[in-house]
Amino acid sequence: MTTTSAAADSSAADLRDPLARLQALFDAGTVRTLAAADGSGVRSARGEIDGTAAIAFATDARSMGGALGAEGCTHIVDAIDAAVRERLPVVGLWHSGGARLAEGVVALDGVGQVFAAIVRASGRVPQISVVLGPAAGGAAYGPALTDIVIMSSAGRIFVTGPEVVRSETGQQVDMERLGGPEPHGRRSGVVHVTAADDASALAEARRVTKLLGAQGRLSPADAADARDLSASMPPESTRAYDVRPVVADLLDTPGVELHARWAPNVVTVLGRFARRTVGVVANNPMRLGGCLDASGAEKAARFVRMCDSLGVPLIVLVDAPGYLPGLDQEWDGVVRRGAKLLHAFAEAVVPRVTLVTRKAYGGAYIAMNSRALGATAVFAWPGAEVAVMGASAAVNILHRRRLAGAPPEQREALRRQLVEEQARVAGGVQRALEIGVVDDMIEPTESRKRLAEALANAPAARGAHGNIPL
Amino acid sequence: MGEEIRAEMVANVWKVVAQAGDEVSGGDTLVILESMKMEIPVIAESDGVVSKIAVNEGDVVQEGDLIAVIE
Repeated sequence: MTTTSAAADSSAADLRDPLARLQALFDAGTVRTLAAADGSGVRSARGEIDGTAAIAFATDARSMGGALGAEGCTHIVDAIDAAVRERLPVVGLWHSGGARLAEGVVALDGVGQVFAAIVRASGRVPQISVVLGPAAGGAAYGPALTDIVIMSSAGRIFVTGPEVVRSETGQQVDMERLGGPEPHGRRSGVVHVTAADDASALAEARRVTKLLGAQGRLSPADAADARDLSASMPPESTRAYDVRPVVADLLDTPGVELHARWAPNVVTVLGRFARRTVGVVANNPMRLGGCLDASGAEKAARFVRMCDSLGVPLIVLVDAPGYLPGLDQEWDGVVRRGAKLLHAFAEAVVPRVTLVTRKAYGGAYIAMNSRALGATAVFAWPGAEVAVMGASAAVNILHRRRLAGAPPEQREALRRQLVEEQARVAGGVQRALEIGVVDDMIEPTESRKRLAEALANAPAARGAHGNIPL
Repeated sequence: MGEEIRAEMVANVWKVVAQAGDEVSGGDTLVILESMKMEIPVIAESDGVVSKIAVNEGDVVQEGDLIAVIE
């Protein structure tokens, strides 16, 4: 083990220098390498990120495209195992073509051992990956097994490169279209955060590492500021709106949104709330009307399990008209993938509170951290509706015969009257309050305070499970 | 080549807000759909000029149907 202060040999101008990348990640002057420079193609170090201790490793893209051999893989495994022993976050900086061809099966075995080390550490310490260049083959699955994947504009992730794709399938495609920020940020869900360049990718990694590695203590007094969380919401309950400003208002300062462009109908954000790190899950009515769908449920499920395994409490903002209907959804596995969200919430032991802002209907009501799934507390705003479905849809089903039997000129008046009755009997939150599935009705201006108190009153706990990339 | 904006879900076209030729910025509303009892705006993802609005008020769009093109 060397303790070379890395600043001494930072004269190398090559931006791909792994030590330079580690220095850019850590606070100035805190980098201590874990092993001497060798030909392994991997450097690893401990250091501080915004004052918080962490461990990191980086592949050396200057040699053989950053390909990994047995020795380099050992360095990565050692770094991850050290992070687990010392309970520190571990950050991987990836720029690697995968296993070294010349080493053959020895390299494959090494890469496999890296995977096993990541899985051993899963749910025990936060694992963050930053993809700064092509990460192919084995180097693709390394990041994919970790909790959070950040990709710079030059980052690429794929199993097989454009040439193999071309020769095997005839598809003409370049690396960017195959595995750049656009496909992985928007279509595949592989990447959690995309960044404009390497510097901002490392800055995002620092923010996330700090949030997960130094979670802080909940201080309800710091949430007693009477902020009106409904300020950016429209008054009409049928009008869509972007929930992200509401989440920003909820948190002390705007957090880090994960999977912002993939399954955008569900928003997942890590941030500080009453001075503590929390995870926020929110339906976004601006996209798909806020409906849950197969991808959105899966995205939320993985986020919930990550937060539970790392001891991060959850706040769930509910405004969902239900599950998205349709053949595509059923065939896309909305039942199987939606079940992941039920499983994730029901097994979570971290404090987790729910706030129904406008409506919680049907299956989405249950899935969004309902009392039945073990929510720590469930609150609702005064105008909120908790029901199996909206009143007019319910009337069309419950009173189909009566409506059909009415003279056509009276049908609309009858429908309106029935909808009003239905809303009075089954809508609102009164029934939910009576049977105790909603604990209390709270005002938008007291929501931060009440949510903070509810989280603070729950015993701290942490799920004893890994974070499989669902 | 323009940016094609397609329907995310089955919906009725409730209002057409933008017209071909309009200059729009990212976040501007192009069309408002109605689905699941919700008014759902279809927004421009980037700045540009609307070269085509492919729907009329009252139309029913299926998932994946073209709504607008922005150059």
